[in-house]
Amino acid sequence: MRDRLDRWADPPLLVLASLAEDPKHGYAITQDVADTMGVRLSAGTLYAVISRLESRGLIEPLESDDRRRPYRLTAAGARELAEQSERMHQVSSVAQRRLRANYGWAGA
Amino acid sequence: MSGPLAPQTRGASLLARASLGLYPPAWRARYGEEVRALLEDSGAGVRAAASLAWHAVPAWVRPPRHLYDGTERMRASLGTVLAAWAVLAGLGAVFAQLTQAQGSAQRLTLVRHPVIQWSYWVFDGAVIVSVLAVAAGGLPLWLRMFREVRGARRRREAACLFAPAVVPAAYLALSAAIAGLVRQAGARVVPWQPRPVVDLANGNLGPWWFLALVLLGFAAAAVSAAGPGLALRRLRPDGPAVTRATGAAGLAAATMVLAGAASIVAAVGLYLWAPAYAGYHESWPLAIYLPAVLLAAATAIVSATRGIRSARSPAMG
Repeated sequence: MRDRLDRWADPPLLVLASLAEDPKHGYAITQDVADTMGVRLSAGTLYAVISRLESRGLIEPLESDDRRRPYRLTAAGARELAEQSERMHQVSSVAQRRLRANYGWAGA
Repeated sequence: MSGPLAPQTRGASLLARASLGLYPPAWRARYGEEVRALLEDSGAGVRAAASLAWHAVPAWVRPPRHLYDGTERMRASLGTVLAAWAVLAGLGAVFAQLTQAQGSAQRLTLVRHPVIQWSYWVFDGAVIVSVLAVAAGGLPLWLRMFREVRGARRRREAACLFAPAVVPAAYLALSAAIAGLVRQAGARVVPWQPRPVVDLANGNLGPWWFLALVLLGFAAAAVSAAGPGLALRRLRPDGPAVTRATGAAGLAAATMVLAGAASIVAAVGLYLWAPAYAGYHESWPLAIYLPAVLLAAATAIVSATRGIRSARSPAMG
């Protein structure tokens, strides 16, 4: 059975987090996600995510003369990312506190 | 990003671009160029091709709503479901002709396995419900389009609308005429024993004439289904009639797929438990029938699902 402990790395969240910095086109998103979050998004995954996020109004395309159309986070996207980040932060805080208390983990 | 590619890389790149062809046209129109640009920048490989091919499935089943007008999506689904339904109905007719329509003593004595009997009953029931669903959902929409066509005197669209009635009637008349002309000659020409499965349905028609009539029947079914599909595209009806027809199309597709599944069980059952019944020791008809049913069933179900999803949230499309 596949290990699903990597749920935190859900591609939609990675894309939202990448666009939280500035608008980016597809290739720039994959580069940013790989460089800063260590996850390589394939072309199929990236555009499946982009189409879903655009459909939900969480990101929007910008005008471009180039084929490489940039996307930016919408206000709704920023709220969604903030909510999910808060949840992840809660989980992370609890896990780190308990690891320090019970396993002598010194922290990252 | 640029420069000559190694043959292997070029092959992967072509494969990845070909994978884009698996997506719905609206998806390709919106994102195709961007994906091609990404493939150029990142270097398309087998992984990219596999990923694109894999994600094409949800793009069909759950299309992004911002790419479609809801009513347009329903009309397109209706056309596709009708075409797939017509193919399934044609396959069902061939199945019935080669099994249930055989009233010989052989059938009564050999085809008594309960699985086969149950499959026949499920098949019959599902086909009846499916036809009723098509009538209940399709007639109000048909009437609505007909009123518009009559008012505007649009002859082409009128011809499209009458295709489902006129073409099958013409086919049946032509088949009866051909069978009447050929049957006597066939009695002398095809004295095979045991008769092959394709020779079952025709009395003494002969396998090649039977196959010719089957192919003609599928052509007639295609034209019958294409008529209303074209009318939907040209007349662009909307409102509750389209929504109701979409729901009925879902039921019709689901029940016709059930009938197809029952016919597959029956055909496999005949092959396993009643090989002495006429030509069911032969496996090649199954090898054609099975994938044909599966392909038409998958098309019907996917398209019906897309239509129903649009019907449930037409404002979002």
